[in-house]
Amino acid sequence: MLRFVAASCKRTANNPSCVVWLKECRRHARTSGSKQQQTSAAQETKPKLLEVFIDEKKVLVEPGTTILEAAAMAGVEIPRFCYHERLSVAGNCRMCLVEVEKSIKPVASCAMPIMMNGMKVKTNSPMTKQAREGVMEFLLMNHPLDCPICDQGGECDLQDQSMAFGSDRSRLQVELDPKRAVEDKNIGPLVKTIMTRCIHCTRCVRFMNEIAGCEDLGTTGRGSDMQIGTYLENTALLSELSGNIVDLCPVGALTSKPYAFTARPWELRRVDSVDVLDAVGSNISVCTRSGDLMRILPRENDAVNEEWLADKSRHAPVDGLKAQRLTVPLLRPSKSSQLQMCDWEDALLAVGRALNGIQPSRMEAIVGPFVDAETMVVLKDLFNTIGSENVYLHVDSDLDKSCFPSSKDLDFQKNYLFNTSIAGLEDGVDLLLLIGTNIRFEAPLVNARIRKAWRNNLINDIAVIGENGLDLLYDYEYLGDSTKVLADIVAGKHKIVDRLKKAQKAVVILGQQILKKDSDSNAYEMVRALCDKYGAEFNLLHANASTVAAFDLGLKPSSERKTDNSDEQSLLWLIGVDDENLTIPNNSFVIYQGHTGDICANTADVILPGSAFTEKQGTMISMEGRVQQTLAAITPPNMAREDWKIVRACSELANYPLPYDTLLEVRERMQQLAPHLTRHSNRKLEKPSLRPPPISSVSAQSPVSLLPRMKSLVDYWQTDAISRCSPTMSKCVLSTKKEFDKRGIKY
Amino acid sequence: MRILLKLIQTKDAFICSLTKRMFTRSTVRCSDQLFVHRENDPDTKTFEFTIENIKRAESIVSIYPEGFQAAAIIPLLDLAQRQQGWLPISAMNYVADYLKVPRMRVYEVATFYTMFNRQPMGKYHIQVCTTTPCMLRGAEEVYETVKKLCTDPKLFTVSSVECLGACVNAPMFAVNDDYYEDLTLDDVKEIINDLKAGRKPKPGPSKRSGRLCCEPKNGLTSLTTPPPGPGFKVRSDL
Amino acid sequence: MDTLKFGDLVGVDKYGNKYYQNNYYFYGKNRWVEYNDKVFFDYDASQVPAEWHNWLHYMTDDPPTTNPRVQYKWMIDHTENFSGTNRQYVPYSTVKQKITQWQPKDGQKIKYNVK
Repeated sequence: MLRFVAASCKRTANNPSCVVWLKECRRHARTSGSKQQQTSAAQETKPKLLEVFIDEKKVLVEPGTTILEAAAMAGVEIPRFCYHERLSVAGNCRMCLVEVEKSIKPVASCAMPIMMNGMKVKTNSPMTKQAREGVMEFLLMNHPLDCPICDQGGECDLQDQSMAFGSDRSRLQVELDPKRAVEDKNIGPLVKTIMTRCIHCTRCVRFMNEIAGCEDLGTTGRGSDMQIGTYLENTALLSELSGNIVDLCPVGALTSKPYAFTARPWELRRVDSVDVLDAVGSNISVCTRSGDLMRILPRENDAVNEEWLADKSRHAPVDGLKAQRLTVPLLRPSKSSQLQMCDWEDALLAVGRALNGIQPSRMEAIVGPFVDAETMVVLKDLFNTIGSENVYLHVDSDLDKSCFPSSKDLDFQKNYLFNTSIAGLEDGVDLLLLIGTNIRFEAPLVNARIRKAWRNNLINDIAVIGENGLDLLYDYEYLGDSTKVLADIVAGKHKIVDRLKKAQKAVVILGQQILKKDSDSNAYEMVRALCDKYGAEFNLLHANASTVAAFDLGLKPSSERKTDNSDEQSLLWLIGVDDENLTIPNNSFVIYQGHTGDICANTADVILPGSAFTEKQGTMISMEGRVQQTLAAITPPNMAREDWKIVRACSELANYPLPYDTLLEVRERMQQLAPHLTRHSNRKLEKPSLRPPPISSVSAQSPVSLLPRMKSLVDYWQTDAISRCSPTMSKCVLSTKKEFDKRGIKY
Repeated sequence: MRILLKLIQTKDAFICSLTKRMFTRSTVRCSDQLFVHRENDPDTKTFEFTIENIKRAESIVSIYPEGFQAAAIIPLLDLAQRQQGWLPISAMNYVADYLKVPRMRVYEVATFYTMFNRQPMGKYHIQVCTTTPCMLRGAEEVYETVKKLCTDPKLFTVSSVECLGACVNAPMFAVNDDYYEDLTLDDVKEIINDLKAGRKPKPGPSKRSGRLCCEPKNGLTSLTTPPPGPGFKVRSDL
Repeated sequence: MDTLKFGDLVGVDKYGNKYYQNNYYFYGKNRWVEYNDKVFFDYDASQVPAEWHNWLHYMTDDPPTTNPRVQYKWMIDHTENFSGTNRQYVPYSTVKQKITQWQPKDGQKIKYNVK
């Protein structure tokens, strides 16, 4: 029976109408012993390769490969609308029709598996061409001719393919048979819909159902009245990945609402960069027009973000980096007066005076979430030459510091990386244990990867310790919310211990956004001990892009700061830190450096305008240790400068000139400190080889609950300085709240 | 004065005919039902299966193998429609929650099939067949008469439908689940008057046609002889 | 002005510029201005007020001393051209700024006069 279900599930995998049942049956197969099935499948010998001739070019493929994939191997591209490599096959646009020898009718190549030897496919024959022309004619029959006012114009698959494969005339008689018109849907502040342009490829429906896990989008009606929509009027999509359906849409039916009517694709200049709004390190390209940031698109990288991008990363910087910017140096002449505009010279002199006048032991520097590695190197060098060791990485004061590695753990990279790597989540994980994290909002693309593995039966056992009732888009077992569960597991008293022991590859993910409680726990150590005891892979899910680089460079978490109440003059240098409850010592001279004025800038005595990640070249290290760099797409506004240069200039005026003047020289210095930080590669991932000594015993402490900071989608949109300044994100918060209210969901 | 007015009018008409753009307007094709649920569309406050129907639903769901419960969407929607008389959004939501499938999957099914009525219906849904055989036998008159007689929207909903598969007894209509066949206009009036009076007329061919079922009107034309016995047309040596 | 010339002083304007005439010179060179000594080398043709400009450029032969201009109350005082100095006229933009500057939350407003 089980076998039968599994087999039928594989068989129906290509049939779009079976998606729902398919998922159910996968769930079923998962619940009862799918493990034997996997092992038996692995024992089977590899099937023989079949030969196929695509336009008389011979290709060897595995049985079951579709004609379209085989053609791609042969270097022949077949036009398509509904087919997408990362989605299930729908086969409803018919654009990929090709002629297959001995077949009377043309065949939809995206859904046609190759099962026999010697199949001959003709992608250029008159029959194929005619089929394509016919399909194009039918598609264009109901497609409006509004390309001049369509945002997709210039990057439209329908435009391109009708030029390449369409006929030059149509038999449509508008007088007799008018074009179809469909009313537009309101699906939230990110996606604009012009449904008359829709060609019903259902890519968006499949994406939202399969990858984003938000099952509100579907097809209603039938025949020529079929529509894509939510059926219920004004349903906002409650998803953190909905921006991707704009990229997926082959026509202009779904376009970006914030970007609507702002630019044409041929006016844009694309610069490859890396996202910094979370620690995933998604590859992006930043699109600018004449020095103005227009939009951000994902760049394909199978190991990190595949080709998706989270909504906050996509939309927040575009308008968030245009508001509340620090563009000129500001100086407070005396403690009681207000900040005033000043020249760089005055600001730097003030900083220089402070660096010279204040005792080094009373100097502190804290770096925030978006800071690049170069700035940290220069800052650390400056402080060390002055004689201060107090360079910290900022840890939010409302977070539980016990989930962070302490400075003694930072000697080994394995202690603070996402060791499994994001792509590694698809690689034979038997048990996944999520501790104190709402991974869906802390790292949406990692969560999408887990969901993908779960859907494909690659991860079947997921357990959660932390918040109860989180909607993580996959089924999981809830174990409890306190460190007591952890202690039980370490002591071998919990029911999951058997599964942990049995699992060949168990993965444990510890969140870094656990809310502070009255008493501290030793969650980090306990999770380490758990992993060491059961041989599980230890992973930290960082929330900030700068964390790993800071740890690599030996910055301490700011939870280890020692502040006293003495009234002696002190200095606090904040780079991009925003925290309402940051402890600022008495009588301290506060330097705020950053691109966006946020909470902490209010307390500053000097404000040094820095640059955002779109405006500078900087090394960012993702949570899995991938060394990537952002490139400057635009220039910093007004008098703002690159961050490391500002620190370097301050060192000159403090009479401790640092021995480097260019980015290359800074990177040489960085190489001395941490050689791997200069080996940029988006594709390769260097895994640390040194193993930390195992933790055998953990001291018992009173149980503390491990609740993540972000609970629902409402909390996701505005989490940092950039997204708090973004009007689009504010709209998202409002629409999400409204939608939650409508559905009666608490947030 | 009147002549002057007339002159102005003719002049206007002349200008109009000159300036009028030559374009033709085709009839607007609309689906008979909208595939979007408006916020203030009719709905029942809450919907729940009755105790009997819960039993029925359980037995329906139990037919399907473990993991394939979503296949019960159609029978459960039908059950809900029979209970409520039509299919309000709350019933669709109830079915979705009952089967633990996303609500959108149920909406997709309910909008796809035309026999799920997403608007409030009268007590009697009269579906008049207007496909060719019935049309040739006077279905159009039947349809007009039915429409004329059934004016109370709470009691009757009249729709013209395609073939209901009773061509041999054309013309016909269906009232809820019952077929009324071989209709003449008098039959139509009788049936509808009966329905209005709360009686249930006997389904099947009308009394006037004299038929019991779908047999030929003037006696059998085939199979008139008794059936041959065993060994019919079999080789004698077998 | 930078040349040795002799002529009759026709008049002095309110800014201290002196205007001379000597018809012995060619037409076009017979009227000239000697700027106020205060401006020193910073003299500029725009320091000549409009009424003297008329006379200097032969638009009229009657200098304002003999034929003063009618004074209306809406007439503003003459100013020289300040282009290139920090008092230059900069038209304000009607386009919304692409990037808005930070303003602190505590109510104080920082004045940004960025060029």
